[in-house]
Amino acid sequence: MLKIITLMLVVTNIQAAEPVVVKTPDMELGFTPRTANQMGSFYEARGFPKAMRDVLKQQCFITVGIENTSNKKIWLDMSNWEITAGGKPIKREHRNYWKQRWQNMGIPLSKQSTFRWTLIPEMLDYLPGEREGGNILLPFTDKPISITATFATGENKQGEKIIITIDELFCAEDKE
Amino acid sequence: MKLILKQVLIVMFFVPGIFSSLLVNAGISEVPFGIRHYDIGSAKNFTLIDIDGEKHELTNSKGNWVFLHFWASWCGPCREEMPAIQQLADKMKGEKFQVIMINTAEDEDTVFEFLGSINVDLNSLLDVDGAVTEVWKPRGLPTSFLINPDGKVKYQAIGGREWGSPVYINFLKKLLNTDAKLLK
Repeated sequence: MLKIITLMLVVTNIQAAEPVVVKTPDMELGFTPRTANQMGSFYEARGFPKAMRDVLKQQCFITVGIENTSNKKIWLDMSNWEITAGGKPIKREHRNYWKQRWQNMGIPLSKQSTFRWTLIPEMLDYLPGEREGGNILLPFTDKPISITATFATGENKQGEKIIITIDELFCAEDKE
Repeated sequence: MKLILKQVLIVMFFVPGIFSSLLVNAGISEVPFGIRHYDIGSAKNFTLIDIDGEKHELTNSKGNWVFLHFWASWCGPCREEMPAIQQLADKMKGEKFQVIMINTAEDEDTVFEFLGSINVDLNSLLDVDGAVTEVWKPRGLPTSFLINPDGKVKYQAIGGREWGSPVYINFLKKLLNTDAKLLK
């Protein structure tokens, strides 16, 4: 029986809304908080309706980049990520939630589609050397955010798990 | 039992036609970095117009290997990859190989202006509402699919590849040659 070994890495004492890069022997994770103005400008330039931008401005955007630096397959499954703010769980909405919300608001399909492409995939497998990412959206908070990201490894997800915890990540705010 | 094994080995090593057929069915095992085997069966057909207003249907490309590329002008790696796709198109000119680009969910003006600004001689189909992209489900943007002459999807490549470099060109020519051998 295959013994599952877990690799844990905890990164602490990151005090600002600045990019955080975590490197382990197996993977590299980058977290870049984006301000409402940064994201608003991006979506405005893509012709997103004001109603859509107003909703998005309320969110805390964090761009996540994931690279497999190992020689085995690594599996992203966002349902295996635990996110807290100030010690309490906060909900990262699934892309299906956003799809439903935009449909209810009558947002044009092209804008819905572009929005979806800016989100991190819910599930993805990474071959050695591959790099993919996208945004996660959280309700805006001024409290420190902790993310515990668990990744399965190996062809059939039977390899050692990789668990990476980031503490004290902050939502980015526009300076007055 | 030993006799059967011996016969199988003889067939594999001394009947190249059959062996090349096996190779095609299985796909070429060694693929360059960034390309994945993606044997999902028949390519889903679509009909889209390009920036000149011409209508294109995927099934009309049967008989060629097709490099089907999904992109958007707002995506950084997509922009960076364009010159490499131009090189690919140039180097594969005259081969049974087609480059088909699909812009995801942008309007005609945006695509026209972007392609004009980067000095490439590439046309693109317009998936204005993103519906075709949703059906094809690329891993991300940009993503390219390789479809064989029978209309079967064989490979998927995630973005940012140096398509004009020898490693990719040689791989693609090997695919074409394998088909050519099979037809002889």
